[in-house]
Amino acid sequence: MQDRMSSTERMGAVLMGQKPDRVPVNPFILGFAAKICNLPLGDLYTDPKKCFRTQLLCAEMYGYDATPMYAYASYGAWEFGGEIGMPYEEGQSAPYVIKHPVETPEDVDKLEVPDPKTAGSIPVSMGVGKLCYEHGMPVVFQSGEVLSPAAMIAEPSRLLSWMIRKPEVVHKLNKKIAEYFVAVAEYFTSTFGADKCMSFAGGPVESNKLINANQFAEFVYPYMKEIHSKVLGMGVPIILEHPCSDQNKNLPYYQKLREELGWKGKYIWVFGPETPLERQIEIFGKHDVLMGNVDPPSFQFKDFDEIVALCKDNIERGIKNPSGYILGVGCELPPLAPPINVYAIMKAAREYGSYK
Amino acid sequence: MVIRELFCYPKHLCNALVYVILRRIKKWFLEKSDILKGLADATIAGDTEKAVEWAKKALEAGIDAYEAIMDGCSVGMNVVSEKYEKGEMYVPEILCSAEAMYAALEVLRPHLKTATMGVPKKVVLGVVRGDIHDIGKNLVKLMFDAAGFKVIDLGKDVPNEKFVEAAVKEGADLVGLSALMTTSMVNMPIVINELKKKSNKAVTMVGGGTLSPELAENYGADGYAKDAAEAVKVAKALLTGGK
Repeated sequence: MQDRMSSTERMGAVLMGQKPDRVPVNPFILGFAAKICNLPLGDLYTDPKKCFRTQLLCAEMYGYDATPMYAYASYGAWEFGGEIGMPYEEGQSAPYVIKHPVETPEDVDKLEVPDPKTAGSIPVSMGVGKLCYEHGMPVVFQSGEVLSPAAMIAEPSRLLSWMIRKPEVVHKLNKKIAEYFVAVAEYFTSTFGADKCMSFAGGPVESNKLINANQFAEFVYPYMKEIHSKVLGMGVPIILEHPCSDQNKNLPYYQKLREELGWKGKYIWVFGPETPLERQIEIFGKHDVLMGNVDPPSFQFKDFDEIVALCKDNIERGIKNPSGYILGVGCELPPLAPPINVYAIMKAAREYGSYK
Repeated sequence: MVIRELFCYPKHLCNALVYVILRRIKKWFLEKSDILKGLADATIAGDTEKAVEWAKKALEAGIDAYEAIMDGCSVGMNVVSEKYEKGEMYVPEILCSAEAMYAALEVLRPHLKTATMGVPKKVVLGVVRGDIHDIGKNLVKLMFDAAGFKVIDLGKDVPNEKFVEAAVKEGADLVGLSALMTTSMVNMPIVINELKKKSNKAVTMVGGGTLSPELAENYGADGYAKDAAEAVKVAKALLTGGK
């Protein structure tokens, strides 16, 4: 099928509850773009111009509909005074923590909420945001769930053990992170206007591979609700929410979040491949957009035809969502995926994703 | 039976002595099983203080340190492992169980007698180069420790050649490779190939969030475990059944 809409028109249609020419595609590409453009991966996370241009070129080359953004999973440690390493070595895929700023409960007491204008990666993120704004694209800032950044600040095992041994310390830390995220949202929305911004939230430590639903309720939910409520209150229209990995047991809390916030704003949900689209439609289908969740490692290890088949299956299930569907990947697309497999997503979208 | 009668009748005396000895033995076994259960329960509950307390009691009661570890701590960790598999325990609780178990091991290890232990199987363990995600590897280490393996933990972001060097130097029976990222897991087949060239003794196992049994096979690994609970079972099967 020949595309009849531009990417902006297509994404716009989905977000306004209309039917586009075909399902839009957001393959959740970051590191892969650097690889395809022959850019050292570390540059993607340190140089806003290269970060923006690389992602833009990759999207143009394949014809997918995502716009550039800046985010990474180890977010938090650098911003709160720790040390971060950039992925310049073989085998690395994203920034990684070298030194966690918190080692003891006393460190949490001493920890100051950083200045959202200068903290860690913020200048790079703001730089990418400015370029997006100049090109009429949404400005994405990273905010949202507190437990993943808390784990990066205090070291994951230490934080998880404190959840049982010293819960009050974890709450103290989470409170500071929540305060910081709200400050970041204020900085971005006051710079660009809330209607031009999109908040990106989510993280892997909230996954039920690590914590149970009760722990999610105690250590994640109240802060998530507070941040989302304030971000939406500022007038940010869209939250791109990525409950990473298996979060099936947390689903009732994501539902509760939307209900308690009165289904305000528009959410784009990007669950891991463990969460069936049918279940997502049941919960969020009346209000929110779902982004497809094709299994990420498959892009690296399966062949073209298998990827087309996986995407076709995802389209057939996701397109039934009454509030819109974007064909996507359940987490970042592997940077080492064979380039032809990204074309497989586009082929599937064009062949099987048209709206009648 | 009165004391006087005992002294009067040698047969009665003999019976009484047997009775006393049997009671003592019964008491010792009861005490022993209570202590071992206490150790297991403290491990499951992640109660470090209790675990240390029971470990000391075990030594005071003359229980062999190796027996206390295997029939106390290890039994507790088996329960933890089962609960983890069933989704009844999660990583925060397991980390506390680990703290309790290692605290008990601190008390018991100096009293281990090599004769009762036999020679433990050696496992070289690490997260491959480029990857710093070590929660999974640490859980696997915990389960191996609890099962009586000798673990040489190389840590995270381990250069490929370090795995091979350690396996050869230690005479490892098994090398376990962990990775979470799709960019780092490509180092696994490199390590496995090198190991096969340099150490024909060690079997290899891989695991981690993005691995699958098919991929493990493609990489030439001898075994794959989907999580820490499964890792020990797979390792034992590999080491008893050979490659």
